[in-house]
Amino acid sequence: MSKEIPIWRIKYHPKDLDNVCGREQVKETLKKIIQQRNFPHLLFVGSKGIGKTMIAQLFSKEFLDKDYDANFRLVYANVPLTDEERKQARTDAYIPTSKIGSSAGRRITTPVFIQAKVKPFVQLKVLGDAPYKILIVKNFETLGSDQQGFRRLMEIYGTNCRMILITTKISSIINPIVSRCQIILVSQVELDKFKELILDIAKKESLNISNECIEMLFRISDGKISRAIDLLQLSSLSGNTITAEDLYDNSIKFHNDLIRSLLMVAFKGDFPKTRDLARTILSDYKYSAHELFKLLLIEINKLPLSRFTRINLISLIADSDFRSLDGRDNDIQVSALLSKICLFSEYM
Amino acid sequence: MLMSKKDSDIPWVEKYRPKSIRDMALPTARLGRQRIKLDEELTSFLNEFFEERKHINRKNQQIREFNRTAIEKDQKEEVRIPPDKAAVLLEGPPGIGKTSIVFALANDFNMEVIETNASDTRTRNALESKLKETTKSRGIMDFITKSKEKLIFIDEIDGIYGVQDRGAIPTVLDLIDNTQFPIIMCSNEYKTNLQPLYNKIKRYEVHPLPKKEVVKIAKSILDEENITTLKSEDLELIIDKNNGDLRGVINDIQGIGQGKLEGDVRELILSLRRDSLEEIFTLIRDLFKVSSLREARNLTDKSDVDYNFLYKWINENLITFIKSNRELNNAFENLSLADEIFGRIRTTQYWGLLPYFFDLFTGGVALSRKETPISKGFQRVVFPRYSSGSYFSLTNVERDFIEKINRKYKISQIDFIQDFLPFLKVLCGASRKQLKNVSDWLELDAKEKRLLKYKSL
Repeated sequence: MSKEIPIWRIKYHPKDLDNVCGREQVKETLKKIIQQRNFPHLLFVGSKGIGKTMIAQLFSKEFLDKDYDANFRLVYANVPLTDEERKQARTDAYIPTSKIGSSAGRRITTPVFIQAKVKPFVQLKVLGDAPYKILIVKNFETLGSDQQGFRRLMEIYGTNCRMILITTKISSIINPIVSRCQIILVSQVELDKFKELILDIAKKESLNISNECIEMLFRISDGKISRAIDLLQLSSLSGNTITAEDLYDNSIKFHNDLIRSLLMVAFKGDFPKTRDLARTILSDYKYSAHELFKLLLIEINKLPLSRFTRINLISLIADSDFRSLDGRDNDIQVSALLSKICLFSEYM
Repeated sequence: MLMSKKDSDIPWVEKYRPKSIRDMALPTARLGRQRIKLDEELTSFLNEFFEERKHINRKNQQIREFNRTAIEKDQKEEVRIPPDKAAVLLEGPPGIGKTSIVFALANDFNMEVIETNASDTRTRNALESKLKETTKSRGIMDFITKSKEKLIFIDEIDGIYGVQDRGAIPTVLDLIDNTQFPIIMCSNEYKTNLQPLYNKIKRYEVHPLPKKEVVKIAKSILDEENITTLKSEDLELIIDKNNGDLRGVINDIQGIGQGKLEGDVRELILSLRRDSLEEIFTLIRDLFKVSSLREARNLTDKSDVDYNFLYKWINENLITFIKSNRELNNAFENLSLADEIFGRIRTTQYWGLLPYFFDLFTGGVALSRKETPISKGFQRVVFPRYSSGSYFSLTNVERDFIEKINRKYKISQIDFIQDFLPFLKVLCGASRKQLKNVSDWLELDAKEKRLLKYKSL
């Protein structure tokens, strides 16, 4: 590569399984699978942003080797389909009248996601020498009731295509799917491995970083490596020595702290300003109202508040979230919650 | 023998429809934030279209020849007229002359107008049969005579709605891609289901005519028709009430001018009521002055403003009338409950709950004002600015950006927007060198670079 990659998160993205930071147990299991050349459907479980997809992807790459490009696909269950894809799915589901049978001229009603993204891939034969294709479905739990459509699919096309389902919440995956998969728990990266990684990067980028700073980085980024590297790069802009203040300043610019600043503005009791800020956050980050409520809840649990305040705030959020389930206009529910917090702040 | 139509049978709106774009009073218009002259813009649109079509047709001819000889296999795809050059959308309140502009323009260019409007059924099939043939083929007589050019005019496109017109929008989009003739569309207001259309083509906002222009036109019509009974202050009243709607004005003066004028003209004028924005403004201002639930109910009963919008207007404008946090809290408590009830009505179809909804979002909100005094001054009422999307959707620029990133680094759209883009913004905001590095590496263009602009909150 002639030019250096300017984004560290991409630059230090591991190239193969061996380079993945920590998680020895998972790596061992996967490597055994690669040797045996056979595996059942897999279900990766672990909290958000710790590298499940990355591991699954690298695993597929090593497993399929040179046939990787043709036989691998990654689909996101939580990204809504575009209009073209919906259209395509509708036409694909149509059985032409030239076919004989009672279903001629009708449409098969499979869920659109499966019709558009999954079926076209799994139905095609394996290319090259690979034993089977690999399909990764990310955020599988967001499929909801569409999961049912996967049950038969996994059996019928199982010989042709193995699936790796990735999820953060195993509880919202239906039992029949869980029973068809081997579960692989992906844990957070261990602190000492994390230290090794950061020190390695620091060496390559000629940075000075103290032990305490690394521990702090680990805490701020919740053990998410990509976010930690982002923070490190931002802090490196101001100088080669990374200080705790740098890390802290930069982390404020990130989104969890946006929610915190929203709360801070609300606690000052200025409603119009609060609503404007909330609207900017919602439109910039494209959160739904429900996601905003959830983030607020997480943030309130982190803030140093009295038990009384905290429980009251949580009940306010719960109430608004509940109402927004039925409500038509999410902006009203968000505004209502903020106005309540503004009023509540007068008694804090 | 054919009966010739009597002059008095033709609506004046049709009778006085301008024949040429040169002798009509042009409404002001905007493209984005930029002010433009509508006649120049549309004339150049048509000229550019014909130029482009000529160019493209020649190119396609070449491509077809290439393919026949299989010299150039890469160029299988025929080129098409880019959508923003094939169609434009005029958007503005009713009766300000959008339709007139299009017909006057077609007259100037000596074109035949193929029109569909909300009165036609606009299912996919109906639209296709009406439009597609005319757009693709150029008519059998073209070989013999030079036929008129055609202009496709889709009026009242925001009226494409509901089950009857299912599939119409994709058809229109298809049409824009494949057309051989220029397309002009008209609509009254922003509609979310037209979003795919807005992404593709230029959208001109047309504003109502200034009052003195309307007066001039109305007077010239009155002169033409020899009507002297209408006093000028009555004319003013008509014009004020119609709020820029020229068609409304002409219809009103025809209604009054052709009838016998007896009794109070003003009463008659006021009875010719037409829904307008001003009505919402005054309704909201009045609503926050009420002192009892009954008054609030009377107000909303009298007006025929759509309650689907009214409660959104109240949500937006509440903060100008109510100031203290305690009152705001009560107002929003009622409003959010109203919203919840309305949602339940829509899902369960139990319309018996509607009275609660009404009382809560009108009286319930307005009567929450206890401490804040009624301001004597003018209170500005604003449009509901913000509508939160119920699902995740991206603009075209964002989508292109993600595609470019995905060539080098796999990331899902949601992760990109919520996790990666904020980081990139901070990184690129730090120094110009960083911005240059990143955008060079990702090969971004100017539009996509603008996404990286960091604004601190």
